[in-house]
Formats: sequence, structure tokens, C-alpha cells
Amino acid sequence: MAAASDRELKKGNAELLILALLEERARHGYEIGKLIAERSEGVLRFYVASLYPLLYRLERRGWVRGEWEPSAGRRRRYYRLTPTGRKILAEQRSRWRAFSGAVNRIVEVRHA
Amino acid sequence: MPDWKRIVREKLGTLPLGNGRREEVIEELAEQLASAYEEALAEGMDEQEAMRSSMAQFKDWEKLRSQVFQSVEGTRLPVWEQNGTFAPRRVSVWIALALTLLLLAMPSFRQALAILPVSGSDPTAWSSRILSDRALRRMQLSGDKAKYARALAFVALHSPKEDDLRAMHAAEKAIALDPRLTWISAKVSHATYAIPGYDPHPWIERLKAWDPQNGFPYLLEAHANVHREEPPWTQHGATGAGLGRVLAAEPRWRIPMEKAFAASRMDFYSAQQFALDRQVLQEQGFDRPDILIVSMWSQPMPDLVAMNFYVDILLRDVGEKAEKSGRIDDALAAYESVARFGERLESASSYYWLLVPATRYRKDAYEKMSSLTQRQGRKEQSAELESTLTALLETGKKRPLLVSSAVADRSGHIVQLFGLVVTLLSITTVAWLVALSALRWKPNLSPGLNRLASMLSAAPVLLVLSSVALFLGYYPYARSIAEYASFEELQEGFGPFFMGVYGFPDLGAFTDIWLPSMFWPSVWCAAVALAGACVLAWVRSRTRPDQPDAD
Repeated sequence: MAAASDRELKKGNAELLILALLEERARHGYEIGKLIAERSEGVLRFYVASLYPLLYRLERRGWVRGEWEPSAGRRRRYYRLTPTGRKILAEQRSRWRAFSGAVNRIVEVRHA
Repeated sequence: MPDWKRIVREKLGTLPLGNGRREEVIEELAEQLASAYEEALAEGMDEQEAMRSSMAQFKDWEKLRSQVFQSVEGTRLPVWEQNGTFAPRRVSVWIALALTLLLLAMPSFRQALAILPVSGSDPTAWSSRILSDRALRRMQLSGDKAKYARALAFVALHSPKEDDLRAMHAAEKAIALDPRLTWISAKVSHATYAIPGYDPHPWIERLKAWDPQNGFPYLLEAHANVHREEPPWTQHGATGAGLGRVLAAEPRWRIPMEKAFAASRMDFYSAQQFALDRQVLQEQGFDRPDILIVSMWSQPMPDLVAMNFYVDILLRDVGEKAEKSGRIDDALAAYESVARFGERLESASSYYWLLVPATRYRKDAYEKMSSLTQRQGRKEQSAELESTLTALLETGKKRPLLVSSAVADRSGHIVQLFGLVVTLLSITTVAWLVALSALRWKPNLSPGLNRLASMLSAAPVLLVLSSVALFLGYYPYARSIAEYASFEELQEGFGPFFMGVYGFPDLGAFTDIWLPSMFWPSVWCAAVALAGACVLAWVRSRTRPDQPDAD
């Protein structure tokens, strides 16, 4: 049950996580996967099999742009946010803050 | 270092992406595997372990392939490129389709399929649906041309009521070609009632002359002389005692009834019709017990109510009056006449609804005879009658009835249910094949069509499974009509199953009440609901610019 709800939570917010990570700078797929696991301290772990289709979908929508760049003697595909992607990120982030704030206000209240 | 690109290329198989996108995807996924492999080695794993750990990131390559394509192109993978369990590239799907066709080649399976359209409808209408009007017309023309009397007799027996004239013409020719078929006059004499001003008597007279010992033509004559369902007879009630008295006083009815009860034999020509129907149906390629059983329902039958009236007249008006006036032998003769008639009726009929009154006539007559002989002190005769009566009641209890047994009922339900499923899946499979052919011809024809073809992929496999279930449900009842020696055998062997099919599901309330009044309102409601759903979907797509497609 807990695993299922985690999965739903991740699925709903996967786009937000990726867009947020790309806000700082361009990143490749492997790095995105590692960063999500690291920054969430292992709570969120992306299946690689889901990550790449998601990146391709964001790219098709025009929210991110992928480009091949040299990196440590090899070629990697780096993804960066487009202006549309930034706008969507701002909207999604604002919605997330409102939602998580509301949930926190309820969940964190303790009975005196 | 493994050749990751080669591995990914092999695992992904065909990925129909254009403009070098496929190679980019392969390179990117290979890069992911290489990075994970290097990290595993750095963590101290050996090469094999690192390889395994890296590859474990992608468990389902087919799913990945399909997801990558959908993400990049925004549509499903072309159906001919899919490798799923039910994808058209799988041989198993075509084997399933071939198995269904193989089943179709089996006469038993075709019988099971063909039995379905009659379900839920009024069985009395089935006899007019045995063969289509066109088929009957064709049979009549070929029978005419080939001077084939039996085919013409079949047309005469099974023409729908709306076409009684055709039935009469066919009967005339059939009897002229083969006078042994004169018995079909019984059916045609009934048919002529539908034609205003037409006289059925010549047919009945012909039958009486051809089969003078038979009581059946006299029953037909009584009915032809007095249509108790029509004025002026209806003013006495259709079935009441008043009508009985009026009929008793009507010589045009009473005399033929007397002759029918006094005749030495009773024959409704069941055996002749069964043999003729079975032969002609086989010749016409309809090897179907359901058609044969329904065809027998068109058999002309005597007027049961009229017989009841006459039995009452004999037992009460004649017999009891004779008893009261001391004419014991006259009373016994009247009772005896009823008992003998009951016997003849019983031996002539295969139908339960005629067997029941036949037994009742005999029982009533024997009871009266037994009581009278006892009162008269004829002990020996009374004891003999009592034992006959006991034997009669015992036989009545043991007689197999034409009612559905539980097993036959269940088989009927299974056949009905899977028949419906097979019909729906056949339509689905045909739609799938059409979509598949179109997409084979032009792979990018329509994303919607591709989606439909992908969604319907399981249809051929489900079709073969449901076909097998239908076949197995029907198999115990699958027999050629040539194997049935008599109508009784057909009724006992196939009848209960057939009634199980007919009785399930009971759609009477739905088809008689709901459908006529609610069909169009339902269609309108569905149309409004569909329009509403479309508007909602459109509004939703406009207010969510962050989700411009439905991935």
C-alpha cells in the first residue's frame, strides 16, 4: 500500500523533479537519476526505464532541449530548460508549494 | 568493456524513428549502461557482476521500446512493429486465427454458431424463419423445374402465412406429381383460412378420400365448418359451456366430430412430415437439428378446445343422460368411444400438450365406466377397468416430458453466452484484420487506427478460446439430422437443450416493454452524454496548457 502510494506520488511529480534539476544547469540522464536519489536521500529513486521516456516526452513538448556535448572524453546528451519549460516549472512549483503547504498545515497540527 | 551500443541495438530491435533519432536513443541508453557499469566496477564488483547490475536497470526492453517510441513520436508504436504477446508479428496470433477457421470447417461448430439467432425471440415465429423467403422461392422454382414433388411439398408446408397462395400452388403441384404426398392437404387446408373467401373444403375432401380411415380430416372439417373463434360463435364465449351446447346442436360441427371419434385410426402425419423435412433439409444443405425441430412445429394440429367440447358432450350429455335413463349399454358405449379416442390421440401425437388431454380423456372415461360397472354389479369388468386405470396413471407419471433438464439447460446457457462472445469477438477480429491490412499497406495511415489495431490485438486469441468453449458446450448435442430416426428421438435428444438455449436470457420484458418505448430516448441521452464528454475534454485541454497532449 505504501509502495503504491509512493509510486503515485513519484509519477505525479516526476516532471517537476526533472524540470527543477535542470533549472540550475544542463544535465545528462545518468546525472539526473543519480541526483534524484542523492538529494532525496534515497527516498525517491527513478527507474531508468521510466526516466528516458519521460525526458523524450518533455523534449517533444518543447519544455527541455537535448544536445550532444563532449564530457570526460565521451559524448553525452545534455538536457536544458527552454523558456516554455521555465514557465511550466514556475507554475508547477507554485502549485506544489500550495499543495504541500496545505497538506503540512493539516498533517503537522498536534492536538494539545 | 562491453560493446554497449551493440547490446542496446540488439535488445531494442526495430525502433522505427526517423532522422537519426534511433541512433541517438541507442547511444544515450548505451551511455547510461556504461556509466552504471563503470560505477559498479569502481565499487569493487567484478566485470560479470557489474554487467549484471548495469543490465538490471532495464528489465523489460519491449516495454522500453514502446515507451520510447510513444514519448518521441507522441503515438503508439506501429502495430506491425510491436512485439507484445498478441502483436501481429507473433506466429501464435495467426495460429489462433487458423484454429478458429479450422473449427469453422467442422459441421458441429457451424451448427453451434447457427443456432444462436433464434434466441430470445418468439419461437412461433421461428418456423417462418426456417428458410428465408428467397430460399423458399428458389426451392419452389427448382422443384418446379426438376418436377421434384418433395421440395414442392416442403415449400407448401413451410411458406409463411403471408404467402398462403404460394403454399397452395406448391401443394397442388406436389400432389399432382406424387399423390402419396396428399397428406400435405392437412397443412394447406389450415393455410387457406388466411385467404378471405377461400374454401378449405376441397383440400379436406381430398384428404378424406385419400385417407378414409383417419379421424384427423374430420377434425379439420369440423373446424372448417365452425370457426368458433369468429362471430356468430363468439357471442356464446370462446370456450364456455354455452358454446358447447350450441356446438352440440350444430350438425355441421357435430357430425364430423362424431366421425373423427368413431374413426379407426388417428394420424397427424408427423412421421411423414419428419421424413420429408429431414430429407429436404439435408438435400438443401441444412444439416441442423434446430431447424428440423422448428420445422416440425409447423405441423397442422387439431383444435384441442373443440375436442374437449366433444368429449364433454359424450361424457355428460350422452353418457350421463343414458345412465340416468337406464340405458347402461349406451352410456358405456359413449364412455368407451372417449377412451378409444384418447388412445388413438395418444399414439398419434408426439406433443406433450396433446398427450396430457389424451390421458385425461381416457382417465375420465375409465373412471365413469368403472363406477358404472361397479354399480351394475359387473365386478369382473369393473376390476379390469380399475387395473387399466391404475396402469394408465402409472404410465402417465413415467412419461418423459419435453422440459429442459438442468444439464441441458446449462449447456444451452453456455452455448448462448459463448455464442454471443464469439459473435462479438468475430466482429472485433474482422475490424482488427481490416485495420491491420490498412496499416500494413500504409504504416502511418492514422494514429487512431494504429491505436485501435493495438487495442484489438487480443481478439484472435480470445476468439479461439471462446470458440472452443462454444464448441465444447455444444458438442454433446452435435449430431447430423440423418441420425435422428423420429421426431420423438429428436425431441428427447435435442429438445431440452434447445429449450435451454431459447429460455436464456429471458429478454421478454426488455424486448416487449423497454425497447419500444425507451430505445430512441436512450439514443438521444447517449448522444447528449457523448457531446457533453467531448466539450468537457475540450475545455480541459484548453485550461491545462502544461499538458498539451494525452501521453
